[in-house]
Amino acid sequence: MSQSDLKNEINAAEVEPLLPIEKKLIGWSLGLGIALLAVLIAVNHFVPIKL
Amino acid sequence: MSDIAVKVSQPVALRARLNEDWLAVVIGLLVFGSALASIGGTDLLGWAVTTSVYTDIAQALNPFAKAYAWLGGGGALLATYAALLVVLSAGVAALGADVRKFALAFTAVFAIAYASWIFGSYAYVAAVTPAEQQKFGLSWSLKLTNEGGFIVALLSGLVIANFFPRFADWLKEAIRPELYIKIAIVILGATVAVTAAGRLNLASSLLLRGAAAIVEAYLIYWAVIYYIARKWFGFSREWSVPLASGISICGVAAAIATGGAIRARPAVPILVSSLVVVFAVVEVLILPFLAQTFLWQEPLVAGAWIGLAIKTDGAAVAGGGITESLIMAKNAAEGINYQPGWILATTTTVKIFIDIFIGIWAFILGYIWTNHIDKGPDKAKPSEIWQRFPKFILGFLLVFALSLWLAVGSTPQIAKALPAAAGEANVFRVIFFVLTFFSIGVLSDFRKLWQQGFAKLAAVYFVSLFGFVIWVGLLISWLFFSGFKPPLAS
Repeated sequence: MSQSDLKNEINAAEVEPLLPIEKKLIGWSLGLGIALLAVLIAVNHFVPIKL
Repeated sequence: MSDIAVKVSQPVALRARLNEDWLAVVIGLLVFGSALASIGGTDLLGWAVTTSVYTDIAQALNPFAKAYAWLGGGGALLATYAALLVVLSAGVAALGADVRKFALAFTAVFAIAYASWIFGSYAYVAAVTPAEQQKFGLSWSLKLTNEGGFIVALLSGLVIANFFPRFADWLKEAIRPELYIKIAIVILGATVAVTAAGRLNLASSLLLRGAAAIVEAYLIYWAVIYYIARKWFGFSREWSVPLASGISICGVAAAIATGGAIRARPAVPILVSSLVVVFAVVEVLILPFLAQTFLWQEPLVAGAWIGLAIKTDGAAVAGGGITESLIMAKNAAEGINYQPGWILATTTTVKIFIDIFIGIWAFILGYIWTNHIDKGPDKAKPSEIWQRFPKFILGFLLVFALSLWLAVGSTPQIAKALPAAAGEANVFRVIFFVLTFFSIGVLSDFRKLWQQGFAKLAAVYFVSLFGFVIWVGLLISWLFFSGFKPPLAS
């Protein structure tokens, strides 16, 4: 596949709507990520860096 | 990877990437093992060339060990070139590359890259403190530190890529930034261990905080960038997955691994990789200087930020090296002298933590895609986690663990001799960094950003990187590392 084919494909591609499984993936990732970050921030607070 | 890499047969490129990991482990261990021999009294690498800050070029180069002083700077440079040529030629032969083409191209690559490094050590470029300027009799200098040579190597590569494309094409057999940086990272395991051994508490605290990087890259960055690519820019799933992985995780390796996992056409992640490299160059040219200006009082925040913000292992780890030099220089000018190694160790820890999970993330995406989106007979298998695991990390961990044991668990004599051995190996780490910077430059064809079609890909990258990734990375780095400084040099 040449680069010009890929360029045309990028410009001409039809929009694929987000599927429910993609929405789940995004939502779960963000939710889990924010929750884990909160846990790590708490750990960071209670177990500070030791010099 | 730019045009040059895109033109490579894609299946071959994918196989080669995996083999490069093991080759990096072998060469990295070879350098580390040879350096360790010096602990037993046999100096196998003392002939390696080092470069000092200079005003008289005749004083610039020297062999690492005084025992090899008879070689002189020029002899050490030739010996280093010859050794690298032999070892790397054997390595690329194992990858199935054209050894003759590689040898010719590597000769030019080494010559230009190391000349850039030497230029970067010129006192007018490198001298930082007033004491250094006085020592060399200078009234001014660019204060880039001797690691400014990395920037010079990068710029040399950029000039070749953008103004001498036929020469860039001729060099392509030796333009292997992923291989060079992976070898450097394996070797870096020794330096990181020696640094950590001095302050085990601080080192273990840094490891704990590395977990935040994993959460940020995989769960937050990826999800947001995938959404931006799909919803705001209308990219298909096949394009959005490698794009989100390239921008959020670790550039080239992640784009290729996750692209393969969702069964994207090989050309798609490889094309995305070319953009990753171009943007990494832009970041390396900007972020270390921003870190020096705004984060010089928070060195570990700066180190973590560079690891989180710059994609591709090469640009990130090498960018950490530049950042360390710039921040240490700024602090030295203020009379604060930190132990070297901590900023780079923070960047490396963050990057290694992110890299470790590429295989698992690729499998999760592969499982979702092959079972729920593009259902077909070719289902994702758990064995793909190992197949896509970046194997060079095993080399880094082995070198790190062995060095740490030698530093804290062996005899006092060995522990005392280890820093010198690690320093000898570090000479090659620096050379592989220089080769990486030059290679990244040669692969960065900026004209690509203006080409119709790719501008849309670049727009996603630009919006995500400068509108989100570097700021969230800064926030997370600040939350976890602010207020803690590297130990002071004794």
